[in-house]
Amino acid sequence: MSAAFQMMIGSAPGEVAAVLDAFACFATPNRMPDAMRRDLLVVLDELLANVVMHGVGTQPNGQASVTVQLLPDAVTVAVADNGPPFDPLARAQPDTTLSVDERPIGGLGIYLVQRLVDDVQYARDAHHNVLTLTKRLPDGWSPDSEGAS
Amino acid sequence: MEVTTRTVGDVTIVAIHGSLDSNTAPEAKPSLDAVGTSPARKVAVDFSGLDYVSSAGLRILLGLAKQLSAKGGALRTFGLNQSVREVFEISGFATILKAFPTEADALNGF
Repeated sequence: MSAAFQMMIGSAPGEVAAVLDAFACFATPNRMPDAMRRDLLVVLDELLANVVMHGVGTQPNGQASVTVQLLPDAVTVAVADNGPPFDPLARAQPDTTLSVDERPIGGLGIYLVQRLVDDVQYARDAHHNVLTLTKRLPDGWSPDSEGAS
Repeated sequence: MEVTTRTVGDVTIVAIHGSLDSNTAPEAKPSLDAVGTSPARKVAVDFSGLDYVSSAGLRILLGLAKQLSAKGGALRTFGLNQSVREVFEISGFATILKAFPTEADALNGF
C-alpha cells in the first residue's frame, strides 16, 4: 500500500503550521510510528522554515510544493520551491561541542534534517530548488502491524 | 502550545505542552524571557507534555540558558520523550541543557 499528500505554501504566516497539521493528520490513520511522525514533523518544520526564509519569502510570487509519500518501507518527502538557487546542504556543519556561552544561536536546522533522515539530496531543476528526503520505516513495520502506533 | 510556570522551593518549573517549532517558538519566547529576566536562578523545564522540538525551539531554550548563565543560574530539563532526546543529542544540547528522567531527579541537588 502507499499513501501520499501534497500541499502548496506561500510565505503567509501560518502556512508552515498548516502543512505540519496536515502531516500529523496524514500520519495517524496511516499508523506511522510515533518516533517517525515526530522526526518528520521536525524535518518538515526545518525545511519549510528554511524555504520560506531563503526562497518563497524573498519574492512576490514565491511558492513551494510539499509532497509526502508513505511507501511500504519508507517515507519520502520532496520540497520544491521557485526561489533563487539555494543549496542548504552546502552549509558548514555547526560545532555541537561548544558550551552554552560559546554556542551561536541558529545554524542547526539543516544539520538536524541530515541526521534525522536516511538520505537527503538537493537538485536545481528548471528554476526550482528541489530537496528530496527518504526515511526508512522500522524493519517489519506495516500499517496493520501490532505496535505500529 | 502552552507554557505554564510554577515554583517548587527555590526552583522555577516551566512546563511546555504541545510542540516547539517555527510557529510556536515565537509564542513561547515571551514566557521564557520573563523567566530569564526574573530573579529566578534555578530553572527546570518540564518536557513531559512536549511532542517534539525543532531548532526554532532549541534557539529559545538556548536563549534562556544564556540568560541564566549570565546571572550565575542554571537550567535543567526533564521528561523528554525519545524524539526530543534525539534532537538534544544530535544538536549537542544534551550537554548544555542537563536532562533528567523525572522532576524529582531534576530537583535533586539543584
